[in-house]
Amino acid sequence: MEGLLSCWVRICCGEEEEEEEEERKEEEIKMKSFKTSCSSLPLAEADGPRPAFWFSTLQARPPRQQRGRRSSEGGDGEGDGVFPWNPGLRFGSSHSYLSLERLGGGASAVVYKGVSRINGRLVALKEIRVKSEEGVPFTAIREASLLKALKHANIVVLHDIIHTRETLTLVFEYMQTDLGQYLSEHPGGLNSHNVRLLLLQLLRGLLFLHSLKILHRDLKPQNLLLSFRGELKIADFGLARSQSVPGLVLSSQVVTLWYRPPDVLLGNTEYCSSLDVWSAGCIFVEMLQGAPAFPGASDQSAQLQHIWTVLGVPSELSWPGVTQLPHFHPERLPPSRPKKLHNVWKRLQQLPGKTEDLLSQMLKLRPSERISAQEALKHHYFHTLPPPIMHLGDTTSIFKVPGVRLEAEVRAGRKLRPSVLHSAPYW
Amino acid sequence: MKSPGAAESRRLVVLLEAALLREARLWKVPLFKNGCIQGADVSSSQYQEIIFWLGEMNRLFHFCPETFALGVCVLNRLLSTVKAQPKYLKCIAFTSLVLAAKINEEDEVIGSVQDLVVQSGCSFSTAEILRMERIILDKLQWDLYTATAVDFIHIFHALLVSGHPHLVPSIGLGSASDPGSPAAGPGLQKRPAGLQAALWTRQVQHCMACHQLWQFKGSTLALAIITLELEVLTPDWFSVFTNLLKKAQVDSGEFIHCKEMVDEYLQSLEFSLPPNAVYIFNSALIPDQQRAWNPTLRLRRGRGGFAQQGDTDEFYDGFRCLYSEETTQQGNNVDSQQKNVSPCPPLHPALN
Repeated sequence: MEGLLSCWVRICCGEEEEEEEEERKEEEIKMKSFKTSCSSLPLAEADGPRPAFWFSTLQARPPRQQRGRRSSEGGDGEGDGVFPWNPGLRFGSSHSYLSLERLGGGASAVVYKGVSRINGRLVALKEIRVKSEEGVPFTAIREASLLKALKHANIVVLHDIIHTRETLTLVFEYMQTDLGQYLSEHPGGLNSHNVRLLLLQLLRGLLFLHSLKILHRDLKPQNLLLSFRGELKIADFGLARSQSVPGLVLSSQVVTLWYRPPDVLLGNTEYCSSLDVWSAGCIFVEMLQGAPAFPGASDQSAQLQHIWTVLGVPSELSWPGVTQLPHFHPERLPPSRPKKLHNVWKRLQQLPGKTEDLLSQMLKLRPSERISAQEALKHHYFHTLPPPIMHLGDTTSIFKVPGVRLEAEVRAGRKLRPSVLHSAPYW
Repeated sequence: MKSPGAAESRRLVVLLEAALLREARLWKVPLFKNGCIQGADVSSSQYQEIIFWLGEMNRLFHFCPETFALGVCVLNRLLSTVKAQPKYLKCIAFTSLVLAAKINEEDEVIGSVQDLVVQSGCSFSTAEILRMERIILDKLQWDLYTATAVDFIHIFHALLVSGHPHLVPSIGLGSASDPGSPAAGPGLQKRPAGLQAALWTRQVQHCMACHQLWQFKGSTLALAIITLELEVLTPDWFSVFTNLLKKAQVDSGEFIHCKEMVDEYLQSLEFSLPPNAVYIFNSALIPDQQRAWNPTLRLRRGRGGFAQQGDTDEFYDGFRCLYSEETTQQGNNVDSQQKNVSPCPPLHPALN
């Protein structure tokens, strides 16, 4: 199955690339004209059904039990015949969208795959429960107000907001999968070229956020959406915040435990963008290795223990100030020396040293030594990519650079225990 | 390789430009006509009162100044979008602050809406607040994330620290939390890190309540406040200021107008206090909390007890530069300055 998908990804990214770009441009222009007026619009010829080969390949896939999103993989044109779109419908109205199937759900929201009856495009509908006594959850307000201001090729696009008395629905662009799902479909780690392209996009998105002093604070594979051509977009800005003022005391209850940096685990509340870089480093390992970097811990001290066994226990010498952090209890720590990363994550042994070098700089215990997204993008790990990839405009996808495409994922022999794999039911 | 200072400076310019764009996109304030907000029966004094009250609430809830500034921005945008009846003004203002907190404050700090209402001592019901929340979000299309005057204070401050490190010891610009800021100079020992930005922030909070000043964009207001201080604190201020003015893309005519009004307004606040407050003020000794709404913050008079002659000269030199006036005799200026500054007899500086 993985082979088929990869094959399809390659075909789509290669042969169809230019046609696809044109379609997108046209669509974008149409979206703009929708926003300015809801008057009648030309039909979207570009949204017509795609060549059937890739589409049927995916449809032949058996539906997955946990997350059905891949089972009815369509494309922007899927709904055309069934739900003729109507330019008279308005944005902001629940009648304008039709939900097709449930993609996943968490404590506060359920995500559906849907189709816009305004223009026939597929969308992801994130339905948020509104508590009667607290009003709109702060996560939704943050997500909506931040995403309204953020336009970047590696940040998910928020199309619309539907706010009724009972529910609140955020309408996002539809993305075929997410990194968590993709990883579980390719156990044993991803193609190293693909890892490079995915990490590059993650860092591009992060650089953009960090240059605006915005911290994401919840990076994990499930929050990185992937399109069929391999475009990665950062999603779920519910915990994100702007940190325009230096030295603010921030919450240490951020970031899913496995991706939380040691300084925050130790109770540091004055963290900065290095927080997201640590999470990105963990995701880097996960893409290479096929398994989370520091998995399984259920509480903060176990998580710290996990990190110390790999990177060593910090001291006042290696990290001035660490002993002053609230949760630093050296007496509970068995002495531990830093290990070579390639002895912990064996995949690194097969790859050039620069991979390990970049990773080690992203996973520095001491936040001030951790590499910034900006510096990481300049690292020679990325030098094998065509240079124009570093000089793209904010809203330009890296796949616009000629020759940049995903490669086939080879099914690796090293299969992982299923318990290690991610199966979080999240969009 | 360029110096780390230059890289930091470039980074800050990117940040400033992004903030200016956000401000340009979303900044909107109601117009005043015949002492009232156009289209509503809210008078300027009612408005001013409500902003002061909002400041009190912000302090009561332990929200940070950015939250207050964002709340005021939300309120202003709403007042310029809808016709608001005075009886709803308080509820609109309160809800604006709640919304700003939901964006800006950590979950632990916000507390429940019910608790906030109880603490405020107001008679709103939670349902009223939530209804208002929906109205505001819909009217402003959920587009609440903007750059406020407080954000600009911090960006300008960081630009000063990174671009003019030689100023750090002399005017206590230092902020330990700014990455890349130079090591603390001797001047910093007396001033807690980041205090300067905190003082400017408080001045901004005052100015936001003044209906004549709310017509100015946050970036203009922040620059005016900083320039007024720079004039006093460093002989080198003009080059520093022109640099900031250029980066901030602020119209110089509007800026001059704003700066005059800020100066006048802050001075008027000082006069409304008991005169001896000026003399006992010592910036280094007063804890942060007490400073929050203390209008005697102006360093011009605060530092060293009272305006010193050297400061005064620089202050006026500054204005001459700004207006390209010819230099006049300094003695006259000092006299007029002293007349303007304080109705009190020139007491000697604080004894301690």
